[in-house]
Amino acid sequence: MMSATSMFGGASIGSLALDRSVFTAERAQTRSATNEDPIEARAITAVKAGDAGSYGYLVSKYTKRVVSIAWGIVRNAADAEDLAQEAFVKAYENIARFKSGEPFGPWIYRIVTNLGLDLIKHRKRFRHEEITDAAPAERRDRADLPAITNELAARIDHAIQSLPEMQRIVARLYLVEQFGHTEIAAMTNLTEGTVRSHLSLARGKLKEKLADLHGGNND
Amino acid sequence: MIDDTFLEQLRDDARQLQYEPDDVMTTRIAARVRARVSEEAAGGVAQLLARWFRPVMVSLAALSLAAVVGVGWLELSPEPAPGLDAVSSSQTVDVSVGGDVFSVE
Repeated sequence: MMSATSMFGGASIGSLALDRSVFTAERAQTRSATNEDPIEARAITAVKAGDAGSYGYLVSKYTKRVVSIAWGIVRNAADAEDLAQEAFVKAYENIARFKSGEPFGPWIYRIVTNLGLDLIKHRKRFRHEEITDAAPAERRDRADLPAITNELAARIDHAIQSLPEMQRIVARLYLVEQFGHTEIAAMTNLTEGTVRSHLSLARGKLKEKLADLHGGNND
Repeated sequence: MIDDTFLEQLRDDARQLQYEPDDVMTTRIAARVRARVSEEAAGGVAQLLARWFRPVMVSLAALSLAAVVGVGWLELSPEPAPGLDAVSSSQTVDVSVGGDVFSVE
């Protein structure tokens, strides 16, 4: 298993841009919903009061979703696992900034999304790879893609993966992870308009590739 | 408008592409996070103690330094104060016994 440090070739995930994601997360909390899970709310209060053991509830509740989001960005199980771990640790380190009463989910989703985006940027910058937007994901797919037995799902997955990077990430968050525009905007630090723009461009390309599956009468 | 039938239908179909980490991975993540969080918590206590002890240690160090300087200054003094022997030998004590007075050095 790759460590967080090895993933970045010496730089730790946290050193890259987590502060930015945490601060933007803080701002975005003002428009979040209230926490409707009383156990979660109690766990957050306990963690803030210094009870590290209560953090386990939050980790167990959100691990699967956090890993899925991370995997959608990096398309690699080992990196997704490391990102999820790092996201939870960073969230814990910054729990004092978290507003009590808010749901924990949007915050941890935003942190892991930012870590994933930073990882991609870091790889592009420092590995000097000659890549197209979709190439790294495609390469990793072959080694690490979970078996998609359903032909329809495989077609959709391939079509999404062929999109340019930000369109791919936004499309995946919208289509696969089922987030709304506002949530995606908060998670990616993009404006809602930019998210809609990425999604609109992605839609056009996906429609071309998947015309035989979903028809073409919705322009 | 991008929230059209095509996207909604695609969204329904794409839902199944969510990555499902297995139990081994989720357990491993939980264990690693627990370990890291415990380290953080331990580090926090250590830092708290350090914050309290640091001024105490600085004060003690300042007192020690003052004591060393003071002793050094006394030792370097050209006319040392007379010791107990010197004081006792230079003075006599008069003791009165049965009307007689004895002088004891």
